[in-house]
Amino acid sequence: MNKPYIEIDRITKWYPYQDGRIFHLGGEKKWIKAVDAVSLSLRQGEILGIIGESGCGKSTLGRLLTRLEEPTSGDVRIGGVSTKEMIRRDPKQFRRHVQIVFQNPFDTFTPRDTIEKILMRPLRNHRIGANDTERRKICLEGLESGGLCPAEDIMSRYPHQLSGGQLQRISIIRSMFLQPKFIIADEPVSMLDVSVRAEIIRILQDMSRRQKAAVAFISHDIALTRYISDRIAVMYLGRIVEYGDADDVIGQPMHPYTRALLSNCASIDPDEKTTPAAIQGEPPTPVNPGPGCYFAPRCHMACPACFESYPQISHFANGHYAACQRTAE
Amino acid sequence: MDRRKHAGLARVKEAFLYDWQFRAGVAGVVILLALVVAAPLLASHDPYEFGVDNLAPPGTAGHLLGTNHMGQDAYSMILYGIRTSLQVALISSLISGVLGVLIGGAAGYFGGKTDLVISELINAFLMVPTFFLIMLIVALFGNSITNVMIVIGITNWPGNAKLMRAQALSLRERTFVRGAVAMGETRLQILFKYILPNGIFPVVANTTRGMAGAILTEASLSFLGLGDPNIISWGQMIYAGKNYITTGWWVSAFAGAATILTVIIFYLLGDGLNHVLNPKYAFESRGK
Amino acid sequence: METVLQVKNLSVTYRNKNRSVQAVRDVSFELQKGDSLGIVGESGSGKSTLAMAILQLLPDRAAEVSGQCRFCGRELLGLEPRLLQELRWKELAVVFQKAMNALSPVHRISTQIEDIYREHEPKASRQEIRERAMELFQMVGLPERVYRLYPHEMSGGMLQRVSIAISLLHSPKLLIFDEATTALDVVTQGQILEEVLRLESVMHMSRIMITHDMSVVAAACSRTAVMYAGHMMEIGDTVQVLKRPMHPYTQGLLRSFPTLRGQRRELESIPGTLPDLSVQQPGCVFAPRCSCGDGRCHAQQPPAVRMEDGRTVACWQYGGGGHE
Repeated sequence: MNKPYIEIDRITKWYPYQDGRIFHLGGEKKWIKAVDAVSLSLRQGEILGIIGESGCGKSTLGRLLTRLEEPTSGDVRIGGVSTKEMIRRDPKQFRRHVQIVFQNPFDTFTPRDTIEKILMRPLRNHRIGANDTERRKICLEGLESGGLCPAEDIMSRYPHQLSGGQLQRISIIRSMFLQPKFIIADEPVSMLDVSVRAEIIRILQDMSRRQKAAVAFISHDIALTRYISDRIAVMYLGRIVEYGDADDVIGQPMHPYTRALLSNCASIDPDEKTTPAAIQGEPPTPVNPGPGCYFAPRCHMACPACFESYPQISHFANGHYAACQRTAE
Repeated sequence: MDRRKHAGLARVKEAFLYDWQFRAGVAGVVILLALVVAAPLLASHDPYEFGVDNLAPPGTAGHLLGTNHMGQDAYSMILYGIRTSLQVALISSLISGVLGVLIGGAAGYFGGKTDLVISELINAFLMVPTFFLIMLIVALFGNSITNVMIVIGITNWPGNAKLMRAQALSLRERTFVRGAVAMGETRLQILFKYILPNGIFPVVANTTRGMAGAILTEASLSFLGLGDPNIISWGQMIYAGKNYITTGWWVSAFAGAATILTVIIFYLLGDGLNHVLNPKYAFESRGK
Repeated sequence: METVLQVKNLSVTYRNKNRSVQAVRDVSFELQKGDSLGIVGESGSGKSTLAMAILQLLPDRAAEVSGQCRFCGRELLGLEPRLLQELRWKELAVVFQKAMNALSPVHRISTQIEDIYREHEPKASRQEIRERAMELFQMVGLPERVYRLYPHEMSGGMLQRVSIAISLLHSPKLLIFDEATTALDVVTQGQILEEVLRLESVMHMSRIMITHDMSVVAAACSRTAVMYAGHMMEIGDTVQVLKRPMHPYTQGLLRSFPTLRGQRRELESIPGTLPDLSVQQPGCVFAPRCSCGDGRCHAQQPPAVRMEDGRTVACWQYGGGGHE
């Protein structure tokens, strides 16, 4: 149980950088390193929060994990089996193992079909349930378990007749039909009203617990990520800069970037005023970053050594680590 | 399954009640079809028969709309001409619609080399002056009505394909298409189940408008003397009447009016269909 | 204290052929000089419509506005367009969520700032405007070079800062932020809020901030108004409203926000969905989703009652004949 079940192994996505020139006479070819050798692991039923600003590569990471985009290199192993292999051998099996919940529930379903059709399709496609009567029962039960009542009525609706919260619940339920081992939730509640977010979060938690599915919860909402996650990884310019138990990362952030991020995060408690730690400027595009620490140009702690080579990982208690040398000193 | 069909029917019914374009279009087509079926009963003369009264004005000697220079009854000819026009409209736009949707959809969704090749092909086709091409082919392969229909169909697909390709390109990025990939559907399944049905509205409208265009093209060919001489068509009537336009205006005029009317009917039908096929389009009287 | 804005019984109804939707209903509040009011609500709460109504930016044909809206002693509703034009930018400025849409893509920032400045001071020289702009750029934390740039050469955060700088050109008395920081990253949002607070202490403006994010209000507003389905549910001092919410809706909303620090507590959502605003309801709009609603809540609309601590709450639990 304590062994990592999902292993993300140095997964990488580089895009060629187009700066408008057609000929690259001399000079090295430039790359945007959207995701740069990210390694993470998740246990069964664990929820890992991935936070960072827009452009840090967290959504690209989500698409790589679900193979909606081909990684430049690296692999993901599920229970020791390489997904690269799995995709070549049996793409459908991979899809059953890895599911995604999208950000925009209003666009997750084809507008031309009823919910019944939408839910029945994957069941038929993956031969779940012996016949349509049985499949229909699975759909109804699924909807009811997600609190969508009356399920019969929901089944006959078109997506545009339902609210965002309802649609997002249906999206999660549909994913769960396939009993995935790994679910990527890419900002699943950021487009929903606050008062319905909790329901979606609860369903996601319930389902992952019940089916022992690992969840990667990608979000820019730090408070919410802390709430749902067992562990948190902080991403900056395509790399994981800090990782650890959710309470450790939020309670004792070690990386200066995480600290800046947290201090800028407003709280709903008006007494809890923090002075935001200033970081200069905004995240640059990751075009050939390095060789030093990617964050060094904006970091208030940076020393000359930070600009020379990418920092070693500093380890702390409980598996908590940060990619910063200064913080360990 | 039943429910879904039911919902579709209800929508058509609703469209019929509240959307005047759809109502007018459907009514028009129904009337045209009824006229095709009932033509032998309604016609006062055999349209192929050369009568004794040449260029009789409307209303004389039992000729409701007069006769042409060979004494054929214009009213009966117009009735029989509907069949030609509908045939040309339906078959040629079916060909261009199906070709355009499939080719454009595949190009847009698959992308890459497929798209590159198809896009060039579309551009090449669009550069050729279509009408000239049609004339050339008809001149080479004979001017039977079948040839005319196929030629019009084959020369009209690039417009549809371009539209469909643009649709597919934007649909490809939509969440529900990505979702279908993530749910394990194959590329062909996605093309036929998500890309084509969601991207087809503008193509339907365009194709229906294309029907109007096909009728006009056939009429133009006939007008230039390249029509099928063995059948009766409005274009040929206009062609035949143009020499007598000063002395016998009715020969061309009524056929022309019939052409315009039919073209309008197809335009209305195209608009109406566009509304019906788009589930987000709310008909005006919804909710009281 | 000087009252900058006084809104009284403001209602907005959107009409088309077949439906009329009550987007804002009977909203009243006052804004004192130097106050910052955060209006929070979910989608469909009417908060943006309210802002548009105050700014007189709603289309005349589709929206019907009634009530009073006095700005510095002058009635805004039905004000002549020419007079309104004079007020805009000069005394009443707005920053929208999407700054890139508010700026022209084909003109340099300098040109756009000059145009807006000359709207009210036609004789201003280039040098003068530039100096003013530089002053403001420094205030909002923008480098000087931005003045020569085109909008597409800047990031979202920079554009939003430019919008704020532009809105401050004439030192308006009232600044309205309509979800102005929503699209920004945590860090950028934090920095901009910080700048805004600092600016305010220097420039003595009043501010209305429309947002769906309670934490923005907590961080940057002295007063908080909570809207739901077009109605004002609760309005009062931010610390009081957020610390001791009185209206069940505010309580529910706060329970559905996770906190960043301290104990993790169970998140709760509010059951049900927003009512159809085109259908008139006799009772409290929130009653169908409220956990403590009783017969009276469904039958009659609760009046807005002023509490001892200065806040106003529209709920039968508090007053409307007899104290709790």
